[in-house]
Amino acid sequence: MAEEKAPDTKHHSGADREPNEIIQEYIKFEKIKYYPVELTGDIEVPKLTPDALVMVKPQLLTSKEVLARLGYPENGLRPDWKEVFLAKMDEILKKYRSVKLFLDICVRCGACTDKCHYYLGTGDPLNMPVARQELMRRVYRRYFTVQGRLFGSKFVNGEELSEELLAMWYTYFYQCSECRRCSVFCPYGIDTAEITMAAREILNSVGLVQKYLHEIIDKAQVIGNNLGMQQNAIVNALEFVQDELIETTGVEDIRIPIDEEGADVLFVTPSADFFASPHIESLYGYAKVFHQAGISWTMSTHASEGGNFGLFIHNYEHMKKINKRIWDAARELKVKRVIGGECGHMWRVLSSYSNTMFGPFDYLDPKYPRPQHICEFTLDLIKRGALKIDKSANEEFTVTMHDSCQVARGLEMGGTEFGQFEIPRGVIKGVCDKFVDMPEHTIRERTFCCGAGQGLLGDDMLATRVKGAMPRMQAYHYVKKNNGVNFLALICAICKAQMSKMLPTYGFPMEEVGGIHQLVGRAIVLGAKEGI
Amino acid sequence: MGGIKFIIDMGLSSLVYAAIFIFAAGIFYKVYFEYYKTPQPLKIPQTPQPTDSFGVFLRMAGDVLFFRSLAKGTKLLFVAGWLFHFTFLLLLIRHLRYFIYPVPGIVTMFNKVSLLIGIVMLLSMIVLVVRRFLEERVRYVTLLADYFVLFLIMAIVVTGIMLRHEPFRPDVTAVKAFIMELMSPTTPLKLLTMEPAHAPTCFMFVTHLGLVCLLLIYFPFSKLVHSVGYFFSPTRNMVNNPRSVRYINPWDKG
Repeated sequence: MAEEKAPDTKHHSGADREPNEIIQEYIKFEKIKYYPVELTGDIEVPKLTPDALVMVKPQLLTSKEVLARLGYPENGLRPDWKEVFLAKMDEILKKYRSVKLFLDICVRCGACTDKCHYYLGTGDPLNMPVARQELMRRVYRRYFTVQGRLFGSKFVNGEELSEELLAMWYTYFYQCSECRRCSVFCPYGIDTAEITMAAREILNSVGLVQKYLHEIIDKAQVIGNNLGMQQNAIVNALEFVQDELIETTGVEDIRIPIDEEGADVLFVTPSADFFASPHIESLYGYAKVFHQAGISWTMSTHASEGGNFGLFIHNYEHMKKINKRIWDAARELKVKRVIGGECGHMWRVLSSYSNTMFGPFDYLDPKYPRPQHICEFTLDLIKRGALKIDKSANEEFTVTMHDSCQVARGLEMGGTEFGQFEIPRGVIKGVCDKFVDMPEHTIRERTFCCGAGQGLLGDDMLATRVKGAMPRMQAYHYVKKNNGVNFLALICAICKAQMSKMLPTYGFPMEEVGGIHQLVGRAIVLGAKEGI
Repeated sequence: MGGIKFIIDMGLSSLVYAAIFIFAAGIFYKVYFEYYKTPQPLKIPQTPQPTDSFGVFLRMAGDVLFFRSLAKGTKLLFVAGWLFHFTFLLLLIRHLRYFIYPVPGIVTMFNKVSLLIGIVMLLSMIVLVVRRFLEERVRYVTLLADYFVLFLIMAIVVTGIMLRHEPFRPDVTAVKAFIMELMSPTTPLKLLTMEPAHAPTCFMFVTHLGLVCLLLIYFPFSKLVHSVGYFFSPTRNMVNNPRSVRYINPWDKG
């Protein structure tokens, strides 16, 4: 590639360098200092600050073994990347109506320009959803429209492929957390997440594979969970949790069952719940709910992960392979129900996509949603009085709830349009006396992403994460100041990991973050069963 | 003079037919081959989304008729955008009087307010243009093409308003006769034998119609396809019931 030797090129080593060499220079990873802003409680729309966050480059995946397993180029950017790039883009345009349509119909009205948390946090113009999409649309107009092919990129505001453009893609499509907030305000429902997913898969196909996200996709396929825990490690961790539970509750027969055939319920949850903090507190909560409800349940070492990072790129096969473990386990263990724990994107894949990929689930009990969310399950028990609740156990807390993006804008809960907002809140109100919502424009369908969703949770992305968390931190600060809120309830493992890092960064105590089932676990009175 | 008139008649008739053909074929190609035939592998409605198809129909009607999604954001854009589209629709209906004989009552109802409608439309478009220019963020994302289409439609509206007044006023019966003649199935054939329909001798009318043809030709290749594209938007047109009704990925249908 790059045969012509231009003497006047700005890279003095000449234009005959390999594309990989050029791109490596553009996207060199550097540690970046980050500074949280002073919180005021208001979210102000910043002035345009070009290149505010252009220097954040995610780390590249370089392990050849992993790349080979994932089916991506092993030696960095391919020398023939332009052909591969266009072929992949063409394939995606033909396979995903969402991408094709969304590239076509945007009118650049600007309704989305101040809606992205990364834009609000940085003022970087390329973090405006429409500008982010335009990075792809420029290529689309040049190579995939009649007028672009006939008259060239100048005429259609297109752009020729270049390493520089590729570097912009790699930078800014990893500054989108696919949270879909912009799409709420779009008159046509253009979903930047779909564009980002496509862009990431195109980048993968030419050899620019982001490390954090794709390492996890690999681990989930090869080992079975995102953390890469082997089966015996899972068993150990869960036995430890069980011992803890018995010790702290004094209840002898409370259990975390593992791989128990014939249990009623297969429970899947993100593997972080097994030992990370505050995630593990929710695991205690789940176990207590199952115990007190008297429903036999089991976790699975095969399906030891609920999360499915395959969602974050338009690569159906990865997502399907990761999801398959759950349904294999459900059949093997002969369960009647599948219930999912607290996790945002997991819930979307599990409930929105599983049915398409591995349904129909006629081997599961049709009396219950297939699959069911733990909040649906718990709220139902609370409403029926099947759990004995002592709200005073949560007396010290004034709680607010952060709607997870993938749950809030993903799909129904409880079979109703607004269930995904009401049901988790119902659970909280069922176990706590004091609940206050954050300002209206930061919750429910307009909720802000935690700032680290969909593959941006790596340490290399800390600068992005701190900036992107700003809107949520402002909203939290607002209710803390005005209503004395001191607990941020979450229903997502990524939110939990991100928030327990961001709260201290923005000057709040870390203990104020926790799962909804952490609150449930505290309030349940174990012991004498009242039956259901 | 006869020569020039013949050239104008020929040119204008051909342009009208060509524009209508490109518009219709282009939109058909877009809708059928690019939107309808392109599979949507997974259910991606954007919640809150109704859980039954009638609810989805209502939601989409709300989006199309009242711009409800847009109304959640900037109010200025919502008001200006909605007024522009609504007045555009009213004026399209009003133009039916040139295509239908006898003219239906609903169309003649507009007689008194049509000038007002035109002015409101023009003002709302001025707001849209100025907003693009003044609002920092929108200016950043605006392309030349975005101004082009705004100015093109504004030129159509301005020539349209001028046509109502002397000295630009054409003979309305001649206009109607011209359009009715264009609509007759034998007229395109007569083009081949060099017997075009007779266009009214009015420069402003020829300009107005020419600009409309330009818009029609430009339409399928531009962002204007948002008008038909919206109905295929998977975040808006999919029912929110992935658990209760299994969605089949079109890829798997073989």
